[in-house]
Amino acid sequence: MFRHTPLRYAALIILFSGALFTAFTAGYFGMEILTEILILAILVLALDLVAGFGGMVSLAHGALMGLGAYAFVALATKAGLDPWVAASAAVAITAGTGWVIGAICARSHGIYFIMATLAFGQMGYSYFFEQSFFGGDDGMVGPRRFDLGFIGINLNDSRSFALFCLAILGVIYLVAMAILRSGLGRSLTGVTHNEKRMRALGLNVWRVKADVFGLSGAMAGIAGVLAAQHIMFISPKMLHWTVSGEALVVVILGGLGTLVGPLVGAVAFVVMKHELSHVTTYWHLIVGLVLIAVVMSRANGIFGFIEARFRPKTDRMIQSIQTRDDAKEIAKDA
Amino acid sequence: MLETRNLDKSFGAIHVTRNVSLKLERGERRVILGPNGAGKTTLFNQLVGEIVPDKGQILLAGEDVTALPVAKRARRGLSRSYQKNTLFDGLTVEENLALAASVHAGVSMTLWRDALQSVQVRAIVEEVANQVNLMPYIHAKVSEISYGVRRQLEVGVALATKPLVLLMDEPTSGVGPEMAKGFHDLLAGLPRDLTILIIEHDMDLAFAVADTITVLNYGEVVFDGLPEDARGSKLLRDIYLGAWEDA
Ligand SMILES: Nc1ncnc2c1ncn2[C@@H]1O[C@H](COP(=O)(O)OP(=O)(O)O)[C@@H](O)[C@H]1O
Ligand SMILES: [Mg+2]
Repeated sequence: MFRHTPLRYAALIILFSGALFTAFTAGYFGMEILTEILILAILVLALDLVAGFGGMVSLAHGALMGLGAYAFVALATKAGLDPWVAASAAVAITAGTGWVIGAICARSHGIYFIMATLAFGQMGYSYFFEQSFFGGDDGMVGPRRFDLGFIGINLNDSRSFALFCLAILGVIYLVAMAILRSGLGRSLTGVTHNEKRMRALGLNVWRVKADVFGLSGAMAGIAGVLAAQHIMFISPKMLHWTVSGEALVVVILGGLGTLVGPLVGAVAFVVMKHELSHVTTYWHLIVGLVLIAVVMSRANGIFGFIEARFRPKTDRMIQSIQTRDDAKEIAKDA
Repeated sequence: MLETRNLDKSFGAIHVTRNVSLKLERGERRVILGPNGAGKTTLFNQLVGEIVPDKGQILLAGEDVTALPVAKRARRGLSRSYQKNTLFDGLTVEENLALAASVHAGVSMTLWRDALQSVQVRAIVEEVANQVNLMPYIHAKVSEISYGVRRQLEVGVALATKPLVLLMDEPTSGVGPEMAKGFHDLLAGLPRDLTILIIEHDMDLAFAVADTITVLNYGEVVFDGLPEDARGSKLLRDIYLGAWEDA
């Protein structure tokens, strides 16, 4: 069951203060990196919800984000809708698409689930790559940013936009927490632990998966809308499976199923990317090595490692008793 | 309350359920006896819908549920425990019970309310924890409680759906004789209108709780009647004691 430990609150406060501090001190380039981190953080939160808490490892999340971006840009520029209306519609579209993908894939598990989501993602990628209405492989120019003039904020200013993204990320984090503590979130935990038993208890397992995937799709869509406004240009590359793969790397790097971990992962990943790409064109190689080191350490990502470090000794003692008990039960069952 | 009509199932060449017809009245407590491999668990799997029978019907409260999926049957009041613990490891006893109760309480899909805090869920959790003597372990994780207590929780989770019919697959398997005895005392405390079907391998314990007894052998019902008649049955003795000696 999802619980927010004091350590998690502490990590959140540190991350939040760090983001605020950066927003008020960084130059243009730093502000761009911060915004990139914040948008990636929204995407990986969405992914952690399904992959970390629901055991549904998705390679469609990049495509869901891209779909959100395309829907937003097309509705705002081609249909001429107000950016707020276009954004809401785009998020509704990604939520619905996510729900359908979740519902269809609900019966498959493990590698089959991953492959099914990959197929959906690549279908989206090919569509936008080929479709000249959406600019084909040239992509599209994004619309204006949201107009917050009525409260005196100009989002064309990069600091204001970074702070706006931070606020959205904060809201999404709270929503994700609320979902995990809701009836739906508890059921998701049950399904992840023991799907067969949840079904025997009368739960519509596929509905739980579809609903959570839909909510996660909505979050990915929000990341897409923000990304389109940030770089003011979108291309089919956003939907490519490697974007989903990268998001998955970030979630695992930070700590699967911890909600805070993926935020840490997003910071680590983007900072590594920018720092290392100055030094070498092989920065992916180094990120890969770091990921291997994290996985080999058998900790649950960077944040999992920190949690294990700070866990009091007593906890570890209880665990050793548990493993002995389990061994006994296995012996008994055999 | 629960009825099967000419149920039949084969796994390839193995005929595991042969023309099984059973009828349980409301509030009846029936024990299924039979040697290992007789097809008892497979019968349960068909009753709850985890395995589809080749032939025959299953009726729950007078309605044909043969074609209904597992979850729908469960929501109509059919609940089971497993021979091999099927718990939510890593969660606490309370959380295990609450997950089961939240489906019955209709809060398993809600978005803004915490199911674990729901008044109805909390009430069911407390009631069931008392029924199966789990109160002392309520905040312990599954991995922290002994095997015997896990067996109690296995039944508790099934009970927390507030079923009309409760199926228990060897609830006392692997626990000591004293704990098994305690378990049967606890059965006596369950509501009288709850229909119960138990697979039990210990004959003495079975006779102590049963209103009626069904004996399965090679997938076939070879005895169906009152415990006192079963006790004298030579057929039962032969099958059962034979298998007993093998074990
Ligand atoms: N899914 C299955 N596939 C093939 N054979 C099975 C399957 N499930 C059970 N069996 C076989 O059916 C027979 C009855 O098994 P089971 O119902 O578990 O017996 P019991 O519970 O009475 O000990 C056994 O021979 C078992 O090997
Ligand atoms: Mg069995």
